[in-house]
Amino acid sequence: MVILDVLNLSKTFPTRMGPRRAVQDVTFSIARGEVLAFLGPNGAGKTTTIKMSAGLIRPDAGKVRIGGIDLWQHHDPAVQQMGAVLEGSRNLYWRMTVMENLLYWGAMRGITGKAAKSRAEELLDRVGLGDRARSLVQSLSRGMQQKAALCQALMTSPQVLLLDEPTLGLDYEAAASIKSLVRELAQQGTAILLTTHQLDIAQELSDRIAIIRQGQLVLQGTTSEVLQQYSQPLFAIEGAEPWPLEILERVRGVPGSIQMIDPLTLLFVPEAADMAGIYDLIAALTPHPIARIQRHQADLSEVVQKVLTEGVTA
Amino acid sequence: MRSIVQAEWRRSLILAARYPMETLSSILTMFLVFAGLFYGASYITDSPIGAGRLATIVVGYAVWMTMMSATGDMGWSVQNEAQNGTLEQVMMVPRGAVWVFLVRALMAIVVFLIPLVMVVCAMIALTGVGFVWRLEALEPFLMTLITAWGLGLLVAGIALIFKRIGQVLNIVQFLLLFVIMIPLGHDPGWLWHILAVLLPFTAQVALLRHVLQTTAPVPPSLWLSAGFNMIIWMLTGVMGFIGAERFVRRRGTLGHY
Repeated sequence: MVILDVLNLSKTFPTRMGPRRAVQDVTFSIARGEVLAFLGPNGAGKTTTIKMSAGLIRPDAGKVRIGGIDLWQHHDPAVQQMGAVLEGSRNLYWRMTVMENLLYWGAMRGITGKAAKSRAEELLDRVGLGDRARSLVQSLSRGMQQKAALCQALMTSPQVLLLDEPTLGLDYEAAASIKSLVRELAQQGTAILLTTHQLDIAQELSDRIAIIRQGQLVLQGTTSEVLQQYSQPLFAIEGAEPWPLEILERVRGVPGSIQMIDPLTLLFVPEAADMAGIYDLIAALTPHPIARIQRHQADLSEVVQKVLTEGVTA
Repeated sequence: MRSIVQAEWRRSLILAARYPMETLSSILTMFLVFAGLFYGASYITDSPIGAGRLATIVVGYAVWMTMMSATGDMGWSVQNEAQNGTLEQVMMVPRGAVWVFLVRALMAIVVFLIPLVMVVCAMIALTGVGFVWRLEALEPFLMTLITAWGLGLLVAGIALIFKRIGQVLNIVQFLLLFVIMIPLGHDPGWLWHILAVLLPFTAQVALLRHVLQTTAPVPPSLWLSAGFNMIIWMLTGVMGFIGAERFVRRRGTLGHY
């Protein structure tokens, strides 16, 4: 079931140098329990898109639907179902305590009294900030502030969560904690739109990815399919001992290309990308001891780099 | 809406209590200003000043301070939110930002009026000056306040667009002083009525002066001018703020500072 539906969003900003197209015809959707990693370089249109999805920037064209409700026609019920942690914003009042902030922002969205208090306590315990509820936000570390901001966005148990660079500037432990919370929220059914430059985090958390370049979506698909698509038909074979000459002579007859990277490692590309060719190669290598065979598996940084530099689209 | 009122009331109290020196200093400043008014008026004129005249001075000054506060509160609030990086969260509140800032302004006035009333009462007790507050003045005072909020929403709209409004507020305050001092209240003619309808506060202040200084019935035209002007300025403020909000959402400059 689609929770966040972004349809043909376009935005042009007037600048002193003339109009600048920030986002052009961007369309994507996020289903219940799905994490979409929205990736791209600085200035590609990620933040403009996320802010249009949050109702903070009005698009020139296109629609945003949250739980089937049009954001720009029925603003109040639509934003009620949404929480956001925005990069570059503090999201919280620094002169108030964590608990005061949660109760304040909860009340602004209609959750008050005991319900608000118990929800705030539950969220703070979940992110490990239970003992810092009475601390002023300004006295917390960056990681703790980010966790508190996330709790603020979750006070009303929103169906959609917009996370703009949620792990930016966090240490390993804080980032891991945010990651685990995002995973948990997705499991509970929250649709999550995540922008980040930390591609390992995006790869780990996302079910789907969308890559934006110069305001246009250039790639969109499930993370596993995209990674598979960009993985090359290439094997690295590591011998337990250096490869002897007679074996190297023998493998020349195997269909495909073979390259020796170092005395222990061979790179093998099967002919016509026929992956079954690896069995012919193993037969030719027998009985030399093999330590490891690894098929090339693309990671998100390779995909993004390739898409952005070579303009590959899918 | 009730939850927004509760949240803003709580927030106002929390912030007032969190920095007691700041709160105490503002109360002390208020106390000194009113002490100056109570004692200084007699000293300068070198004669005991009548209770009625003093009431007019004190109430006039209190209204002036309240108006200044009501006019500037929302603008400062927008500027501070933008500076602190919380404006975008406020703009995502379901009820709409105009309600948030109006409720916040209402709470700010309550928090401002409580010490003000306490200080005035303390001064009356200390000086022994007879001071009769006329309940009839409450309506003109509320009309002045609502007009000030209308103007305050316009200033807040300007703050949404330009973010820094310190100088704008200075200009607005001088203009307000000019508007209030227009000496046409004693002889209302056609020019006065035109100005009273168009300019903020002119009609409401004239009404307030009338109620405080005389016991004669208020001319209905004065009530009408003040009421009409209040509605015009509140509507102008709401529309100006919503217009500014739309403008910054279109320009994508909401979170800029």
